[in-house]
Amino acid sequence: MAYFIQLVIEGLATGSIYGALALAIVLVNRATGLINFAQGGMAVLSTFVAYALFQAGAPLPLAILGAVIFAFILGAAIERVIVRPFERGDPDTAVVVTIGLFVLIGGVAAFFFGYEPRQFPSFFGTTSIDLGGVFVSLRSLGTIVVLAVVVVLLQLLFRGTKLGLAMRAVADNPQSAALSGLPVSRLLMIGWGLASVLGVIAGVLVAPQLFVSPGMLDFVLVYALAAAILGGLDSPLGAVVAAWFIGVIENLAGAYIDVIGNDLKIAVPFLVMIIILIVRPQGLFGRKVVVRV
Amino acid sequence: MNTSFSNRVSALTTNVWVRVVFGVVVAAVLVVAPLISSKFVNYQLGLIAVFAVAILGLNIVMGYAGQVSLGQSAFLGLGAYIAAYFVTADLPIPDELKLPVSLLLCAIIPAAVGLVVALAAARLRGLALAMVTIALPIIGIPLAKRFREFTGGSQGTTVSWLRAPDWAEGILENDQWRYYVVVVIAVIMFVLARNLVRGRMGRAFRIVKENEAVAVAMGISPYRYKVMAFTIASMFGGVAGFMYLGIVQYTSPETLSFHTSINMVAAMVIGGSASILGTIFGAIYFVLVPNLANEINPSLTALFSGAILLAVLFLVPGGIVSLPRRISQVVRRLARRRGGAAPQNPSDQAPVTAGPESTEKNKGKRQGQ
Repeated sequence: MAYFIQLVIEGLATGSIYGALALAIVLVNRATGLINFAQGGMAVLSTFVAYALFQAGAPLPLAILGAVIFAFILGAAIERVIVRPFERGDPDTAVVVTIGLFVLIGGVAAFFFGYEPRQFPSFFGTTSIDLGGVFVSLRSLGTIVVLAVVVVLLQLLFRGTKLGLAMRAVADNPQSAALSGLPVSRLLMIGWGLASVLGVIAGVLVAPQLFVSPGMLDFVLVYALAAAILGGLDSPLGAVVAAWFIGVIENLAGAYIDVIGNDLKIAVPFLVMIIILIVRPQGLFGRKVVVRV
Repeated sequence: MNTSFSNRVSALTTNVWVRVVFGVVVAAVLVVAPLISSKFVNYQLGLIAVFAVAILGLNIVMGYAGQVSLGQSAFLGLGAYIAAYFVTADLPIPDELKLPVSLLLCAIIPAAVGLVVALAAARLRGLALAMVTIALPIIGIPLAKRFREFTGGSQGTTVSWLRAPDWAEGILENDQWRYYVVVVIAVIMFVLARNLVRGRMGRAFRIVKENEAVAVAMGISPYRYKVMAFTIASMFGGVAGFMYLGIVQYTSPETLSFHTSINMVAAMVIGGSASILGTIFGAIYFVLVPNLANEINPSLTALFSGAILLAVLFLVPGGIVSLPRRISQVVRRLARRRGGAAPQNPSDQAPVTAGPESTEKNKGKRQGQ
């Protein structure tokens, strides 16, 4: 039983990392109606900034703060300069644009930092604590707590502040938002900036485990996309629940089903996702989209 | 002057005789090229043919039918593994039949896998489909490593096959023979694809891409045509896998890699989405540009490909194949901005002291007032 609980908590921790990136994807999708395949790449580049600052002698919290600021500016700039002309256009082209960004940003990271994985210090240290026979690493618990805090903050932002209200208005209907005097362009940039910050949170959380390298988040991104789609793409809560679900189910299947084992556990969440999507094409928490001719 | 020039060009390209001559020249180049080239060049040319077929399949499902697929590399890898298994396996058939039979299997099995995946995935809208297709290479790689008896595990399998036949001894080297086999298959696949997209099914694909509701209203089932497009794309991927093994003589889980899929999507868009000719440009780009970038600076390869893809999307959304049309479009627009009265050659006007862009803007403003 203790082993089971341990697996669940570890699954929740990895799920939280997927969840942070999935939230970023949902945020971008709500703001600009497209899926950003470069979300992981942007997060990696920002994580590299944290790494560089740390190497340059900055204390870890300051390095992370620097990376967060960099991520915000990066996200806002990319939206304004590269993505803007393709928004509200052909969605397939927009997807290819973000794929191009994915390759480009990975290339930038590789150019400056190379492909060699680099060690990154953990914010939470490496100690484990004993909770009544269940050994849980502080890092796992910390990761889960960080995601929970992020979700609460996002809810407060969107439900409790004028900025959040304005962002929701833009996501809902950009034309009427513009007509009622909202600075749509700036709000879209803020939306992308915030998403990019969520990405770097995921990056910094996972970096001690995976080491920092240009391809570090490729797999995390795929899980995050799966979580976002499973959760319904426009539901932040759905994305987080789906991400936790994916993290836990992957961990349990890998540990308990012999045929699957550690190498094939990656297939489990996708099979589950495909089955769920066939039953509910709009995702677990998504609203059904009705297209008018 | 410019418009009449582009008219003359389009008149040339539609002229039957010009087309015949062009076709003969291309065929002659394809036949002669391997005879006068080094082994390395033949290898590269063969690879271009391989990826031309794989990207052609991708273009059918993505360019023509409008369904984003990020899983084409899985079918390429599957085809290569099937070929590797069957050309070395002890089959109760005569040796001469081994090659066509394994080629056939390389088409049928990936198509069947693609059909099963598509039956489930095509129920989903837009990006969910892209997600399911992303899962294919990601699940495919650990699967390939698991079934070591068939795939050789992480090390992959090396197969030495497709040697020049006995009658060609002294005439053709192995690399030349492989080139010819692969190019013949590629030509067949291109003819098939051309007929497909110009026919009834191609029209249906375009309507499904344009507007699914309209397709339904016209009695075209979007679901059925999406499944068909995906199945056909998988078949092309599998055949490309057969060709890949023929040229490279080796395959490993790396062949399936998700990055190969991403790069194929990029190459397809750069060459020209929904264009047969663009597919060939895309394949040339896919094979040659990473090589060139590697020559300059290996750590810049990814940077280059990303920058090129974005530049194409910004400047020539139709890909390389639409470059002539795009240029004449831009030239015409410039001529109109200059007043339209005297359409001059732009090169006469370009080196104005203040820089071309600022003068254009000023002229446009003056006109508006």
